[in-house]
Amino acid sequence: MLNYIIRRALQIPLVLFVLSLIIVGLMQLLSPQQRAAAFITSDKQIEHIDQIIEKYHLNEGFIVQYKLWAKEVLRGNLGFSRISKEPVTTTVRKKLPASTELALSAFIPIVLVGIWLGTLAATHRDGLLDQVLRVVAIIGWSLPTFVVAIWLVAWIYGGLGWFGIGRLPNSLLIDLATSNFHSYTGMYTIDGILNGRLDVTWAALVRLVLPATALVIVVSAGIMRVMRSSMLDELGKDYVRTARAKGLPEGRVVYKHAWRNALIPVITMAGPMLGRMIGGIVVIELIFNFPGLGEWAAKAALQLDMNTLLAFVLLIGLIMATVNLLVDIAYVVVDPRIRYE
Amino acid sequence: MKKYLLAIAALIVMGAAFAATPKDTYVYLQSAVVDSLDPVQGYDGASNGIIENIYETLYSFKKDSLSEYEPTLATSYEVSDDGLTYTFHLRKGVKFHSGNPMTCKDVKYSMQRNLVVMPGDSGAWIFGSVLTGYGDDAMTEAKRALGDNASKAEIDKFLDQYWKKIEAAVTCDDMYTVSFHLAKPDVSFMARLLFTGAAVVDSKFAIAHGEWSGTEADWKDWIGRDLRTSYLHKHDAGTGPYKLVKWDGNNVVAEAFDGYWGGAPAIKKVLIQSVEEEATRLEALRRGDADRVDVNSWATVNAKVKQMPGVKVWSDPKWSPAGAHVVFFNFNVQGENNPYIGSGKLDGNGIPRDFFSDINLRKAFAYCLDQDAIYNDLFEGHGSWYTMALPPTWPGYNPDIPIRKLDLDKAEEYFKKAWGGKVWEKGFKLTITYNAGNTERQTVAEMIKANVESINPKFKIDIAPLQWSDYLKAARAKSLPIWPLGWGADYADSDNFIHPFYHSRGSLAKRQNFKDPEFDKLIDYARTLVKPEQQAERYAIYKKIGRMAYDVLPNIPYPLQSPFIITRDNLQGVYYNSMLSRDFYWKDISKK
Repeated sequence: MLNYIIRRALQIPLVLFVLSLIIVGLMQLLSPQQRAAAFITSDKQIEHIDQIIEKYHLNEGFIVQYKLWAKEVLRGNLGFSRISKEPVTTTVRKKLPASTELALSAFIPIVLVGIWLGTLAATHRDGLLDQVLRVVAIIGWSLPTFVVAIWLVAWIYGGLGWFGIGRLPNSLLIDLATSNFHSYTGMYTIDGILNGRLDVTWAALVRLVLPATALVIVVSAGIMRVMRSSMLDELGKDYVRTARAKGLPEGRVVYKHAWRNALIPVITMAGPMLGRMIGGIVVIELIFNFPGLGEWAAKAALQLDMNTLLAFVLLIGLIMATVNLLVDIAYVVVDPRIRYE
Repeated sequence: MKKYLLAIAALIVMGAAFAATPKDTYVYLQSAVVDSLDPVQGYDGASNGIIENIYETLYSFKKDSLSEYEPTLATSYEVSDDGLTYTFHLRKGVKFHSGNPMTCKDVKYSMQRNLVVMPGDSGAWIFGSVLTGYGDDAMTEAKRALGDNASKAEIDKFLDQYWKKIEAAVTCDDMYTVSFHLAKPDVSFMARLLFTGAAVVDSKFAIAHGEWSGTEADWKDWIGRDLRTSYLHKHDAGTGPYKLVKWDGNNVVAEAFDGYWGGAPAIKKVLIQSVEEEATRLEALRRGDADRVDVNSWATVNAKVKQMPGVKVWSDPKWSPAGAHVVFFNFNVQGENNPYIGSGKLDGNGIPRDFFSDINLRKAFAYCLDQDAIYNDLFEGHGSWYTMALPPTWPGYNPDIPIRKLDLDKAEEYFKKAWGGKVWEKGFKLTITYNAGNTERQTVAEMIKANVESINPKFKIDIAPLQWSDYLKAARAKSLPIWPLGWGADYADSDNFIHPFYHSRGSLAKRQNFKDPEFDKLIDYARTLVKPEQQAERYAIYKKIGRMAYDVLPNIPYPLQSPFIITRDNLQGVYYNSMLSRDFYWKDISKK
């Protein structure tokens, strides 16, 4: 088992290496002029496009460009982000906590809602509740994230004035900038407590509601569908029939026996679900004015900021690879029949 | 349990019902992202919109006026008789945000920092081109002058000369008197000094934090440097009414500076936030979470903003942006195998290189451009008419010139006269280009195509969208026969339009091989009128040039979208100065 984990962990750098090759390679498909034009913030600078091309080695080939980047990375320098106007590592340090806060606040509701609704649908198979939930799941799964996000912004925030957008109310942002609020973790909910500013924690929590809701809507539908079918599967198996035959109450049959087994396929879903969640976060951060990694990467993609994109892709690659490894390990824990050699 | 839920719900609703920002706070949500807060580096609206409030220049704009300047860090100035030396008397008792006093040393340092670094993607050339005579940084200029294979000794010699010019460009006569020495007289020098690049930087503070030392010792290390990696990029060393508290990602927070020489402004705290998504900005405006937001077009203003309660749309038909958009004609197209002129002959499958040198053709094309449609359809009736390539609010603009509007009969008449009737008989084929993605220029190109082709079936026009950089490259190579393009002002002097558009050596006119000695003579003469009392004469000349341009028609000016400002209705003191990056100074606004 340990052997297996080490082998899998060693694959991660290889995956990251290939990812970085792909990104640098994709950039080369655009002409140096097109890439240089992305550096420009005002029309007048277009006159200096040749200087920009020379300065950033944009007319060099793939290998030269990759070497230039890799040499710096090996020294621990991920380069300067044109989007955030500061070194990439500085930005990651500041923005990762924001995205993490959002992901964590959405994660538990996503799992709970997905599993709970999936179970409900399975136990009420073909009933009205099941039908309704199935329609809801299809809608949730097929709705583009930005549509859900814009609805929530327009109706709940714009129409009703509830919750608000951005990480904190503007007055608090000004207040924190001018007072000596210390950023320990970069997550306002936790920093609020550590600084003894519960108003900040509360405001940050309120602001998390809408973006987290949007994530729950678009991500939990998938879990619910898997949970429903796997639950149905389990409920049709012999051991469940035996349990029912020996007169166990239905609640015990469902929750004590079938439920745990039905969860295994849901754990498999964790990988793809995380992917969908990250995709969702990119759009949601943009629309809810929630300045995290996703918003940063979306802008970088639009403006062909290679350093930023590479850092983002590598970071996500690292997270995805790690999660997939953890999922595989979790199988063993949940299902003792599975062994890795 | 239910009780708690109710309590929480009540708290949320109460906390967010209608959250107008506090009376002493100004919150502005903009679409663009700040690039750099270093005055030398900042060259985009988002950056300069902040720099213009935390830094100051020697003179500044008097609210919305472009021709009246207000003494700011200087109290008065003189121009020498030869127009080569500008001497400024500095305001005494001005303190930087650090507490350091502002003296001539700082003014000299700030200007020389422009001349030393000259980042290619900045506006530093605005000063270089008049003070040292160089528009690029020392290394680029050295390469240009000496070629790529110059020896180190040759380069060093060139750099020494360059440095001597930097040293001579600004001198301190005493602690409160500074002189700028121009390479040649320049009528727009005062206007150039109002550009944020000339903002006065706290030299002691900047040097202490690792910026250029202000001496020859390390100047070579700073040539052409990207200032986004040095201290002033994110920190403020200004004298302005506001000081920077923090620039972090999408938020810039500033607060009123207690020691400001000009008195305390009404707005004490400012938050400028970059919000990419327009729908999000609009909802924040509706909820009162923002005092001002960026909106992209009049279409959105009409459809979504006007009916929002508590929101004000500031606009005025008299406002015009600091730009001009025209359709250029090329008087002598260049380039081998030029793809835009077909066969290169007047045989129905192309055009000769000097096709547009015939005034009849230029007039015929002008009558084919439906300016009313641009005004009404593209800008929903909110446009500024242009009689010449100079914004209508700028001194020297001539409003008494007619505008050629769509008239296909007249167009036909001129087409028949062109090239002694050969154009009408043989027909022609040419290509109009525009930069891909620009719907305004696309519409202009399509309009001309449709109207010209409707007159005679032998007239054929292709339309080719090009990448921005390719488009400009082709224009610079003088290979485009006819193309729409815009120009934005660099500094607030009408010469910044008249010269590029109408002088044979102007940066735009030379791309169309336009050369008219009458225009050149007048523009050159106007450039010698540097004294304040000569300005009326200078502006009269510009009016005359506008009139001449109507007859000669080197380009067709067409309407621009007229500007607007969207705020909550309790914001007061808003005005529109097209040369300020964000229309007004924060210190001039207040709230009801």
